[in-house]
Amino acid sequence: MHKVNVLFFATLRDYVGSKSVELEIPIGITIDGLTDLLVAAYPNLGKVKDLMMAAINREYAADEQVVPEGAEIAFFPPVSGG
Amino acid sequence: MDFPTIISLRASELDLGALLAQITLPTTGAVAIFTGMVRGKTSRGNAHETDYLDYEAYQPMAETKMRQVADEIRQKWPSIEGIAIVQRTGRLYPGTPTTLIACTSAHRNTGVFEAVRYGIDRLKEIVPIWKKEIGSQGEVWVAGHYHPKPGE
Repeated sequence: MHKVNVLFFATLRDYVGSKSVELEIPIGITIDGLTDLLVAAYPNLGKVKDLMMAAINREYAADEQVVPEGAEIAFFPPVSGG
Repeated sequence: MDFPTIISLRASELDLGALLAQITLPTTGAVAIFTGMVRGKTSRGNAHETDYLDYEAYQPMAETKMRQVADEIRQKWPSIEGIAIVQRTGRLYPGTPTTLIACTSAHRNTGVFEAVRYGIDRLKEIVPIWKKEIGSQGEVWVAGHYHPKPGE
């Protein structure tokens, strides 16, 4: 297991009820796996699971990408700036 | 001479004159500017009124991606001289500028209009910023649609 800091933005922050959480996750877990853990921990996220995008260390990540130790992970919906 | 690139994600107002001075070179003869504004009344589609917008950003990633937008503009239009990409955060009221993309070049027919258009379109695709609209419809997060590819 290792610890990661997970950040949430916009609708996802509302559903989680927090800007960030520190999680103990299994070594080798992918973004897909981490998403499933989060949906289990915060069932409200299930409503927006298909919209969830992930960044690893501030770069857009693939679902099958492994979460590196000590990484900064962020989850958020499609962006709407401008 | 190095071409200036100004990236600014900020809560405070922007000074267009000062910004233009920073991206104007002795060789500059054209500037194209796009500014997004908070729209108080929307008539297209679902007609409604807006009291204000609350902007939120994933600051460090947003700044990195704004810089990436500028890099992409330079690759596509090498004749562009200065580039400014500004986005405001926090609470913004109707009639207020929210974002600004400005590009300078020697002449107007060097892609400067297209570069600015590309800049705002790309900002809306890949820069992690979100806005919540508060108005006659209550509080609604504005939904984006684009899903960037890994590393994009």
